[in-house]
Amino acid sequence: MIARIAENCFWLGRYLERAESTARVLQMTGQLALDAELSAEHLWTPVLAIFGERRAFTERRGVEREADAEDVQRFMTWEETNTSSLLNTLSAAREAARTIREVVSKECWEVTNELYLWLLGDAGREEYEHSRYGFFQHIRRMVQLCLGLFRSTMLHDTPLDFIWLGVMLERVGQTARLLDVHHHVFSGMHPGHPVVETALWLSLLRACSGFEPFMKSHSGRVTGDAVASFLLFESRFPRSVHYCLDSAYRYLVRLCPPDADAQLPGRRTLALALPLLAELRPQALASPDATVHALLTRMVEGTAELCSLISEEYFGRSAASAPQVLGTQVMAG
Amino acid sequence: MRQLPHDPGLFAGYGLMPGSFDELIGADGVPRPDFQRLLALLGTRVPEDFSRMQALAERALLNQGVTFSVYSDQRGTERIFPFCLIPRLVSASDWAHMERGLEQRIRALGLFLDDVYGPQRLFSERPELRDIILNTALYLPRLRGIRPAGGVRIHIAGIDLIRDGRGTYRVLEDNLRTPSGVSYVMEGRILSKRVVPDVLELARVRRVDHYPARLAETLRSVSPESPEHSTVVILTPGPYNSAYFEHSFLARTMGVPLVHGEDLFVDDDRVFLRTTRGPRRVHVIYRRIDDAFLDPESFRPDSMLGVRGLLRAWAAGNVTLANAPGNGVADDKATYAFVPDFIRYYLGEQPILEQVPTYVCAREEDQRYVLEHLEELVVKTVDEAGGYGMLMGPQSTREEREDFRQRILAHPRRYIAQPRVELSTCPTWDAASRTVVPRRVDLRPYILTSPQGPWVLPGGLSRVALRAGSYVVNSSQGGGSKDTWVQKEAV
Repeated sequence: MIARIAENCFWLGRYLERAESTARVLQMTGQLALDAELSAEHLWTPVLAIFGERRAFTERRGVEREADAEDVQRFMTWEETNTSSLLNTLSAAREAARTIREVVSKECWEVTNELYLWLLGDAGREEYEHSRYGFFQHIRRMVQLCLGLFRSTMLHDTPLDFIWLGVMLERVGQTARLLDVHHHVFSGMHPGHPVVETALWLSLLRACSGFEPFMKSHSGRVTGDAVASFLLFESRFPRSVHYCLDSAYRYLVRLCPPDADAQLPGRRTLALALPLLAELRPQALASPDATVHALLTRMVEGTAELCSLISEEYFGRSAASAPQVLGTQVMAG
Repeated sequence: MRQLPHDPGLFAGYGLMPGSFDELIGADGVPRPDFQRLLALLGTRVPEDFSRMQALAERALLNQGVTFSVYSDQRGTERIFPFCLIPRLVSASDWAHMERGLEQRIRALGLFLDDVYGPQRLFSERPELRDIILNTALYLPRLRGIRPAGGVRIHIAGIDLIRDGRGTYRVLEDNLRTPSGVSYVMEGRILSKRVVPDVLELARVRRVDHYPARLAETLRSVSPESPEHSTVVILTPGPYNSAYFEHSFLARTMGVPLVHGEDLFVDDDRVFLRTTRGPRRVHVIYRRIDDAFLDPESFRPDSMLGVRGLLRAWAAGNVTLANAPGNGVADDKATYAFVPDFIRYYLGEQPILEQVPTYVCAREEDQRYVLEHLEELVVKTVDEAGGYGMLMGPQSTREEREDFRQRILAHPRRYIAQPRVELSTCPTWDAASRTVVPRRVDLRPYILTSPQGPWVLPGGLSRVALRAGSYVVNSSQGGGSKDTWVQKEAV
């Protein structure tokens, strides 16, 4: 397929996944605020950290506004100068889809376009003002509808592989940062109050759409370590770091099969992906000086490296001209 | 204004526009015999229904992104081309006449282009035409002597037709370069099927949805390779082009890649596509970018849209470009005046379709007449499209006429003039007054030409001037569109 189109497919997947994830995290944090006895600071500052936008926010709004629920939500939803805002990610997704309209199915394009028009029109603003939960829910549903339509209305061929590659790699980063930030915040507070602690870990699972899957696989026993392991290693859970990276690896193999012509691009990307995936086992945390944070940092950085290599090998971008990877910053340990 | 005598419902109170031929309603105020049943059925819709259907249709167009881009805005504002649900109907016999006339015109224009870029026999017989015809930037002398692969030059044409006050169809303009709008024809039909299926069914309308397949077949038929082993692509200037929706529509419905200039490269006079699996040979390019931007090596060196070396590959016969470069010399507004002569000269036939009498200011006696009659004439700049650069004599001010007089004297070749033709009207929904009103329309049928000859899509784009009293049907200036229903022959 045409390199430019492959690139647009990849970014379409990434932007949509990012928008869904952003909407989900904002929605869940808003819910958590209603029943967890946490300060606004403990609730909303991590949100900015998850998306790697904390510095951008404080530069524009000031440090003291970090704890302001409305400010953080507005910044992550409507801020034009914030590349990670829903406004920008959904506009970018729609622009990518428009550029490759002949590649994505009509149904997918229409959902992306409708969502964009809704967000930019009065209906979106009104929903935001009057029903915050409904606003985020609408975005999530439309994105998920689109992701489902990809699978059920498009040829299962190279363009779709690039879309899912984008979705999966974006998801690796999202889950890893979410886990990293929360692990950091939760581990440092409320020592020994199991009920509060449990509520926090459950909210983290909800922020990853992982509450029910976790409960099913752990028969309701919630501990911080179990949640971290689940989000890192659970190969049956579609948002675990392992699942996403493994899935991305499979797409990379499809794009560059082992028996293919040696001239085909993609070999270097594959060579980078394989050891990264191999590191992602429970044993990686076995040694006493290994930390969840170190492993997550490794995964986030490795994924970013993988993305720029994909850019180079498949899209013909030099490392310098590759589009900036969204929110690659990791919370300082 | 005359009122319909006894027709209730939607068309009650419809008043004909004096001096205009109405497409659907006769001068006696009664629907034309061919369309009576349909209009009666459509007339049963109450304005409330109609308002709602109209809103639904426009919302569907917006959600589906059936839009054109407006250049003025940096963020790339897109607008829908407003759509009127009341169709424009064409009787089977009118269509048969038009179809023959269009085929004839396209054959003659094709032969004219072959001649201009070949032996130029015409000028030995009509030497006075040489300067008028060749004196346009649209004639590309460096292409002389090149025979395009497949032999066809006008693969896709859009011929603008109007109907005068007596109902005679007249050609207004030939578009032989990158005529657009065919996607709105198909999207319009989809809307008709959705909102007035009963009427559409009763009308026995000829289908238009096979156009993309016919286009793909036509493009493959002129490939330098065997059709089944040919790669066809559409070349677009990109998402910011006003017709991008159409480019992607055609690519999607034909199942061929939509490419940007940067996706293609030329090696050894052959064209290749950059893919994730290495270079892939391209045989036919339906290009939607202008000649001037096609190849920075041959034309504008600053073009970022084109492909370096493309013209060499075309001249070598290794790739087909549709439409062929250089076609502009045949759809120039001054050349237009002589198309009936071409039909007689190249085909030895009498022209089937009328056209609008045209004064070519490059000819002295025409110029004199034009300058003396500016108040009655419509003056057009030959190299401007979309209703720009026009003087509407009857509505002009003294200053405007003086301005055009000076312009004509300075550059006579740039101007032509025509008597104003009363465009026909068609009943059209007016959202503001929630009534049906007469609005002026034109018609752009599309003609595909393969080595076997031309084929006309039954229907075409009916553009409508939505503003009361307006003659301007262009999308960029507040026009809208209607579905064109060509009726099947009676069985």
